[in-house]
Amino acid sequence: MEEQDLLRSAVREFALKSIQDRALKIEHEGIDRGLLQSLASQGFLGARIHEKYGGSGIDLHGYLTIINELATFSPSVAALVMLVNSVQAPLLGDAEPESLKKLASGEATVATSLSDVLEGSWTATTLQKSGTGFKGVVEMSSLHNGEFAMALNREDGHLYLFKNGIKALEEDSGLSFRGLSNGSLEISSGDFTVLSQNGEEALKSIVDSLDLEVAAIALGTAKGALDKAIEYVKVRKTFERPLKDYGPVANGLSRLMAEYLSLSSFLDTVDENDSRAKLTLKILSVDFAKRATKASLQYHGGYGYIEDTGVEKFYRDAMGLSILFQRPHHDSMRLSKEIFGEKSGYL
Amino acid sequence: MDFDFPEDIVNARKKAQEFAKKEISSEMAKKYDRDEKFPEELRKKAFEYGIVDYTNPWSMLVTIEELCRADPGLGISATVSLFGAEVIMLFGSDAQKQKYLTKVQNGEKIMGLAVTEPGGGSDVAGIKTKAVEKDGNYVVNGAKMFITNGTIADFFVMLIRTEEVEGKRHHGLSAFIVDSDLPGFSKNKLSGKLGVRATNTAELILDNVPVPKENLIGEPGKGFYYIMTFFNISRAYVAAQAIGIAQGALDKVLEHLNRLTKEGNKALAEEVQFLAADIATRIEASRLITYKAASYLFQFRPNPTLTSMAKAYASETATFAAEKALEITGYSGIMGDLERFFRDSKIMEIWEGTSEIEKLIISRNLLKEYAEVA
Repeated sequence: MEEQDLLRSAVREFALKSIQDRALKIEHEGIDRGLLQSLASQGFLGARIHEKYGGSGIDLHGYLTIINELATFSPSVAALVMLVNSVQAPLLGDAEPESLKKLASGEATVATSLSDVLEGSWTATTLQKSGTGFKGVVEMSSLHNGEFAMALNREDGHLYLFKNGIKALEEDSGLSFRGLSNGSLEISSGDFTVLSQNGEEALKSIVDSLDLEVAAIALGTAKGALDKAIEYVKVRKTFERPLKDYGPVANGLSRLMAEYLSLSSFLDTVDENDSRAKLTLKILSVDFAKRATKASLQYHGGYGYIEDTGVEKFYRDAMGLSILFQRPHHDSMRLSKEIFGEKSGYL
Repeated sequence: MDFDFPEDIVNARKKAQEFAKKEISSEMAKKYDRDEKFPEELRKKAFEYGIVDYTNPWSMLVTIEELCRADPGLGISATVSLFGAEVIMLFGSDAQKQKYLTKVQNGEKIMGLAVTEPGGGSDVAGIKTKAVEKDGNYVVNGAKMFITNGTIADFFVMLIRTEEVEGKRHHGLSAFIVDSDLPGFSKNKLSGKLGVRATNTAELILDNVPVPKENLIGEPGKGFYYIMTFFNISRAYVAAQAIGIAQGALDKVLEHLNRLTKEGNKALAEEVQFLAADIATRIEASRLITYKAASYLFQFRPNPTLTSMAKAYASETATFAAEKALEITGYSGIMGDLERFFRDSKIMEIWEGTSEIEKLIISRNLLKEYAEVA
């Protein structure tokens, strides 16, 4: 635990210096190359990537500490680190060592769309064979201005990595994780690698494996909002008294913090092989993040509704987290199966 | 007891629906939201179409509902150009009504209400903007915050301190009509709102602004009472905005449910059915409280307990509906209109008195009633 505490302090120090003052700029303009490379030089960007590819090879709990702490300042930055380590790196694997090195060093980013496998997605990526390559449009991709792009081809079911011919289309800031530069992109490329023969299953399996990462970001997001609310109610006066002096405010925030501490303790000690515990932690943490960020915004009154205050992004991101990086209905089915010991809840 | 609206209100709702269908689209809503631009053309069209008429409050209530159902940011923008007019209607002089109200009622001019101050929020009695009599004018200094129509209004009904009364903060406040083109009056548009981004919101700065004495509304020192009376009215309209948002979210849930049912996704469809039923029940309850509160209000027998119940409950219904609808529809919701409804809905629990303030009002009134009975 001592090591984890030291790591948390180091991440916090980095975030205070490199993220705090530019958190709003990140929301507007995305994560710039400078920040990406700073994250890499600290060993955060490639936290879980093997050292032979330029990563840090940190253990799981250390990695979760990093994304949890980053999320208290910018859920977008935390989500980027999660995308690199838990989505892109496992899919690139040993097939793309050079690309992996560029990823870990912050030299290149990979446009990644999970939209094909998310619940409620009625549209798919429209890739088509064109000569010896592919052409098409990938809808709503994170890091859509990346040097590389990962995309599913519905025709052959393969998941591809494209290494050139990628053109970012109009950015769509969307509801959440605006720092991830979300938008569609156009691909016209003959330089590609097949990352998986069964791309849809590979992507679903990746999304379902993000239980702890999503929980860590959810708790960091909640903490970021609660920290702001606690500071605000100490100084903001209404009816000539600080807000914190009013019972519903102080007690409401205190209960949320107590919940946060309890879930954080669960995250710090969860067994990475205990699938039920991991899933439970994710479900509880995401639900908590939505409630905590909503309450934190409310305690700010009108000021909470303005982006300058810095609390509304946590509210948006908590909701986005539950839709863009998990499959809630499928998770409910998974949990039911864990509880009943057999397939249930399918009628 | 008759729960059906008379024919003219039913027709007003139909007319508002027709207007929304014709003039408000997803693309348009998305554009104005992205650009944070006030839809002046839409506002004018709403007047031309004959659906903005605050002299017929029941029609306005259902019109607000229907336009916010189509899109909250555009719906509110199209119907909010008379914000604060009731203060002049109820307490203003004939000359003030003639000079100021005629042109906002026909859509020619825009007005606003300026009460909230930086750091002030729901604490209306804590107003710090001051007016001092000098050379036949009231000279005003101070600032107002989160003011709807802030940079586009031609004039504001403004709450200003004209006297310090020891121990009684709500005394010594007066209401004025302040023209926005007076010397020393400046406005800063607030951008980067979470939602209702088509609406215009600003901070107002008043630096030695000379307000003519004849612009004092009613009696000096009675401003707090006038504004509280106004909030009793405006909160019913906010409840209507919230009901519209909730109904718009439910419309999209039903569309999604229909799709799931057609696809034969029974397990998911049943979960969605339960949530749709829950949202619909809350909307119905919100409507019943709001219409009851409005019924008292429009017969000049306001019931502040009911009005606060309507505003608080309908607002919470709006955020509940938008959140649940977004969760249910998942990716398609986040890529479509629902993400905007989710962002827009949150303001309902904040403006015109936070949910916390409404609950305080309800409880205080209940305790008063209890004490009377006991």
